[in-house]
Amino acid sequence: MALLKVKFDQKKRVKLAQGLWLMNWFSVLAGIIIFSLGLFLKIELRKRSDVMNNSESHFVPNSLIGMGVLSCVFNSLAGKICYDALDPAKYARWKPWLKPYLAICVLFNIVLFLVALCCFLLRGSLENTLGQGLKNGMKYYRDTDTPGRCFMKKTIDMLQIEFKCCGNNGFRDWFEIQWISNRYLDFSSKEVKDRIKSNVDGRYLVDGVPFSCCNPSSPRPCIQYQITNNSAHYSYDHQTEELNLWVRGCRAALLSYYSSLMNSMGVVTLLIWFEVTITIGLRYLQTSLDHVSNPEEPESESEGWLLEKSVPETWKAFLESVKKLGKGNQVEAEGADAGQAPEAG
Amino acid sequence: MAPVLPLVLPLQPRIRLAQGLWLLSWLLVLAGGLILLCSGHLLVQLRHLGTFLAPSCQFPALPQAALVAGAVALGTGLVGVGASRASLNAALYPPWRGVLGPMLVAGTAGGGGLLVITLGLALALPGSLDEALEEGLGTALAHYKDTEVPGHCQAKRLVDELQLRYQCCGRHGYKDWFGVQWVSSRYLDPSDQDVVDRIQSNVEGLYLTDGVPFSCCNPHSPRPCLQNRLSDSYAHPLFDPRQPNQNLWAQGCHEVLLEHLQDLAGTLGSMLAVTFLLQALVLLGLRYLQTALEGLGGVIDGEGETQGYLFPGGLKDMLKTAWLQGGVACRPAPEEAPPGEAPPKEDLSEA
Repeated sequence: MALLKVKFDQKKRVKLAQGLWLMNWFSVLAGIIIFSLGLFLKIELRKRSDVMNNSESHFVPNSLIGMGVLSCVFNSLAGKICYDALDPAKYARWKPWLKPYLAICVLFNIVLFLVALCCFLLRGSLENTLGQGLKNGMKYYRDTDTPGRCFMKKTIDMLQIEFKCCGNNGFRDWFEIQWISNRYLDFSSKEVKDRIKSNVDGRYLVDGVPFSCCNPSSPRPCIQYQITNNSAHYSYDHQTEELNLWVRGCRAALLSYYSSLMNSMGVVTLLIWFEVTITIGLRYLQTSLDHVSNPEEPESESEGWLLEKSVPETWKAFLESVKKLGKGNQVEAEGADAGQAPEAG
Repeated sequence: MAPVLPLVLPLQPRIRLAQGLWLLSWLLVLAGGLILLCSGHLLVQLRHLGTFLAPSCQFPALPQAALVAGAVALGTGLVGVGASRASLNAALYPPWRGVLGPMLVAGTAGGGGLLVITLGLALALPGSLDEALEEGLGTALAHYKDTEVPGHCQAKRLVDELQLRYQCCGRHGYKDWFGVQWVSSRYLDPSDQDVVDRIQSNVEGLYLTDGVPFSCCNPHSPRPCLQNRLSDSYAHPLFDPRQPNQNLWAQGCHEVLLEHLQDLAGTLGSMLAVTFLLQALVLLGLRYLQTALEGLGGVIDGEGETQGYLFPGGLKDMLKTAWLQGGVACRPAPEEAPPGEAPPKEDLSEA
């Protein structure tokens, strides 16, 4: 009992082949789009690798690039097959390759589905990498004269300006680290000496933030120093003041940016439904062309199906063929012995 | 009457002309599309920078005119493509016969005129940008503090974003901020002696400081940004006000914006020049093709040689013909006129 049998006459076959040809070219286009999306994501991750400790995983963009290329190749091949399918002479060339090609297509669909799933799931590891990287970045903010870290200040400043964020989780992260280099501190000043003595590590901690945390939409000029001291500024209450500095932390800002990128890419990769349809259509085309009821007349009716027998029977047949592969040598050996025995006897 | 600039066109050169024209027309379509994109981009930039240009500035007229000119060039190119395609195919040509003449006139007069005007604008208008920017930026800086005055409340945000995006400070340098009150009076403590001194120290009663807003800060600087007391050498360690300031953006926003807009206008101008050339070539080619095919009576595949020309006669002859044709159309048919007079007039109109 074949699975999902459908009757095909010549016109239907032609329509199926034409429709498949069109869908294959759309898929090639989609493959190109996925390739460029993967490339774009890779470049974006590279750009910010400084704040990700250089340890971010490039698995998603690499797999997207690979999927895009493979999709282009497979679908253009399938398009060619569909184009040739209506010419019996040309189709005879492709006949032996179709079954393995369909098997590869099924595998490709499964891998595509897994990649789409990864796009949605790798958010967690990105969050950890970002948190670590930003903390280190802020620690090295003041080391503008240390070779190898001198660019960190510029990177963090540009990041905070571009993504409209401040600190790791909020602006208070800046209160806990010394972000002003000792070179620019006046050690003869009493205030500086007091601050340095006030904590165990001898760091100069202030309740101030760098200028890149300032929000241009604030109605008053930016208050960067003595943020928690209401009396230091006229008509200022740090607990109700919301527009002065960026409120969001850079980890959340970067995470939401990359998440939205990967989500949109995951959606596009759901073109697997397209691919599944193409594989099913190709299977119908193959079976209907292979089993034309009257081989002399190519215009006659035929039947197409997904599987020749029902699913459990097909599975049994598959297992049998696998077992036979293993027993292949044994059968030949027995045959040789049996051949020799009658000769002797 | 001698035709102006005649060109003998047997079959092969005609085909070559048509094919070359097809290629040129596609190039014209491309050029028209590029002009549309470029002028669209310029319009979007002007929308963002509109606050920093004086309202009386005429500069936005350039991208608007270029938009129309680009659309006309695109249309001319498409007509060229269709006509050159049709002239190679006998079945397709007849519908084009009647349309081509008026289209050529419209293309030359309308499209050509528009392109010339736009080119003129592209050469003349960027000169007026200097004053417009001077006035516009001056107003924006003066209104920086007016964050609660309706009509100017966006000035602070826009100036800050401008300085951050274009990496500039003040109009011609950071010292421009020393001459403007950029701190709103709402946030000045009237009981503070320093504030009172500053306000009383100048005629207009403005609170002037030697400080700049945060958006002037340069992230590339190795030290955390110094915004206040920039004229005081003892205020900050290792800071000398007499040295060039590495801390803040060195360029003034006037220069940066002027260069940016002039670059865009220059690109647009050169694209317009190229399109003008292409359009002239396409229209010339179409005219020669049209007159050559008219000579054959509209039969494409005729093997005979024909002449293509620009105008059937010189300027004087054309005007005379036009005048006579107009006269014949206006006057009623002269039935009582002596037959001797009518034939010579008809000869003249035919020639």
